[in-house]
Amino acid sequence: MRAERRLLATVAIGAAAIAWALPFAWMAVASLRPGVPPDIASLTPPGPFGLGNYALAWRSGSFPLWYLNTLLMCGGILAVQLVTITAAGYAFARLRFAGRETLFALFMLQILLIPALLIVPNLATLVRLHLYDRLLGIMAPYFASGFGVFLMRQTFRAIPRDYEEAAMLDGARIPALIRHVLAPLARPGLVAFAIISVTAHWNEFLWPLMAVVSPSRQVLTVGLASFTAGAEAGSAWGMVAAGTFLVAGPLLILFLLFQRRFVSSFMFSGIK
Amino acid sequence: MTITRRAAMGAALALPAANLVRAARAAEPVAIDLFFPVPVQGMLANEMQTLIERFNGQQPEVRVTAAYTGSYDDTNLKTRAAIKAGRPPAAVIMSANFVREYVINDEVDAFDDLIGQDGKTPSEYMDAFWPALRPNAVIDGRVYGIPFQNSTPLLYYGVDAFRDAGLDPDHPPATWAEWVDAAVKLTRPNGQRWGLMFPGTYDYCGWITSGLVMSNGGQYFNHDYGGEVFYDAPSALGALSLLDLMVNKHKAIPPGVSDANACTGAFFAGRTGMMVLSTGSLSFVRSNMKSPYRVAFMPRNLRNAAPIGGGSLILPKGNTPERRQAAWKLVNWLTSPEISGEWSRFTGYFAPRKAAYDLPDMKAYVQQYPDAKVALDQLQYAVPWFDTYSTVAVRKAMEDQVQALLSAKTTPAEAAAAAQKGADALLRPYVERTALKLPA
Repeated sequence: MRAERRLLATVAIGAAAIAWALPFAWMAVASLRPGVPPDIASLTPPGPFGLGNYALAWRSGSFPLWYLNTLLMCGGILAVQLVTITAAGYAFARLRFAGRETLFALFMLQILLIPALLIVPNLATLVRLHLYDRLLGIMAPYFASGFGVFLMRQTFRAIPRDYEEAAMLDGARIPALIRHVLAPLARPGLVAFAIISVTAHWNEFLWPLMAVVSPSRQVLTVGLASFTAGAEAGSAWGMVAAGTFLVAGPLLILFLLFQRRFVSSFMFSGIK
Repeated sequence: MTITRRAAMGAALALPAANLVRAARAAEPVAIDLFFPVPVQGMLANEMQTLIERFNGQQPEVRVTAAYTGSYDDTNLKTRAAIKAGRPPAAVIMSANFVREYVINDEVDAFDDLIGQDGKTPSEYMDAFWPALRPNAVIDGRVYGIPFQNSTPLLYYGVDAFRDAGLDPDHPPATWAEWVDAAVKLTRPNGQRWGLMFPGTYDYCGWITSGLVMSNGGQYFNHDYGGEVFYDAPSALGALSLLDLMVNKHKAIPPGVSDANACTGAFFAGRTGMMVLSTGSLSFVRSNMKSPYRVAFMPRNLRNAAPIGGGSLILPKGNTPERRQAAWKLVNWLTSPEISGEWSRFTGYFAPRKAAYDLPDMKAYVQQYPDAKVALDQLQYAVPWFDTYSTVAVRKAMEDQVQALLSAKTTPAEAAAAAQKGADALLRPYVERTALKLPA
């Protein structure tokens, strides 16, 4: 009975994994086929195969520049976020002040807001701060994260107070306490948040499209769309697939390399 | 004493320096930005950047930054947001049927004064363009859009499929009767080959539907006033019935909604005998279709007609006179016969300025590619593109019904009535403050 149930679970999970992997498998196959073959939907075409689409996609855009801009954007957002969510998470988890719960509820409201709703007011703010058409302008609205604050608050709450009390007895003040005691203990939570943040901003299209004008400050997603989006004609699927791999590649490789650590972080922080 | 001397010296030094700065500023080019969408496949974004670099290299007064801004819809969104945020771009290539809404919302400047400074009246200026482009560009008597890249729907058909079905590829269907007949003959069971495919996705769906209505003698919408559509007129009912006939009765068109990729994919693979697609896809089809194909006019019931599509250059409100002059320079260059001809050959769009076709390069091109010639010849039957108050929502009122019809979820009569009702409700606020606003 138990073995049967286990088999069933394995089959179900296996089926889900295949359903998830199929589009990737198709993309990989399609990206290797030159031209616009009539049986483009096929998973097991007879060939010919080649890397021509990758060369074509690479030549169609300024990938080195887009990689750099995207790295700067994701890195910049994450660096600031790690500071703000740790500090705010600590405040909501440990400090006592008037209106704490109300303020926390307001922070949580941010999760409910669709970012697209704020495009116009955010743009107006960027223009006033002279950040329009700058990478910093893309990053600025994300410096605080309601979700991150929530995650860090929960993480800090799960850490026994004994550590802090011991450190305080030794004379540590709050900043030192967070840096040397709590942040290292909360690392799985921070890693889990980092993955979510980087993936979200790496993949984002609409806001970078809105906030930046100059081609020299373009990010990967917008760049990819500039030579693959075609509503009036059909698409050269092979090149679209190759370009998509060029965009998603770094994230995929990163995940494969650190798979074990990522998974354990998610298990620890309770996000699935 | 020392102070005065220092001040005097400072002033003596500062004066020529200030003049120098002023002189340098005068020689410095005016920096402007151009938003452009890429609605067709290919390396058009790259080609546009190359074009703009050439413009920048050819003259010292204006320096243009060309910003790729996604699809026509994304471009619309970004332009609106930029205007609201107080940073309007100097010029935008905007979907030609959105121009009217910018006029209604008072977010765009007319070109009339700029045209006037070159010694022309707006009417003389527009005479250089194909006449069907005028209603989407000239609104309430003023020029708000300069056509840049334009298209019409076209009937593409596979020569092998025609022969196989016993049809003559030299005589493509010209009337609805011949069209239905050909579609039925081309159809092979179980989706081996469809008779006809067309994109039924938003935007494309409304465009092709309007074309069918116009080929049926209809207007589809009031070309001069943005508050009226004729979705339940007999001409529209007839067009919807034609679709119903081909999809639901004869099963010659695949049921449900296909997108442009599905159509071209099926066409390249010989799985559809005919497809309706934009002339803007000519280059894409030409470079990817392996077996012989040809193109023909959209078949007619009562008259030949094909709706215009494509993009026009607009000047958003809120730019300085200096930036407007610079943008005007760019607009003139981009829409010159030479450049618009070049862009047309690269993309497959037709060149909006008639004189482009008098140039030797263009004559050779039209001669070499008979499909481009058909697209050009169809222009004499072109009709304006759908534009009303709240264009997208009103367009969707019909598109939702057509999509339901393609899935056999409604009948032509019900679809026409529901589309009209939905559109009337959406147009109501505008109608009330315009056509129904009467003196007390």
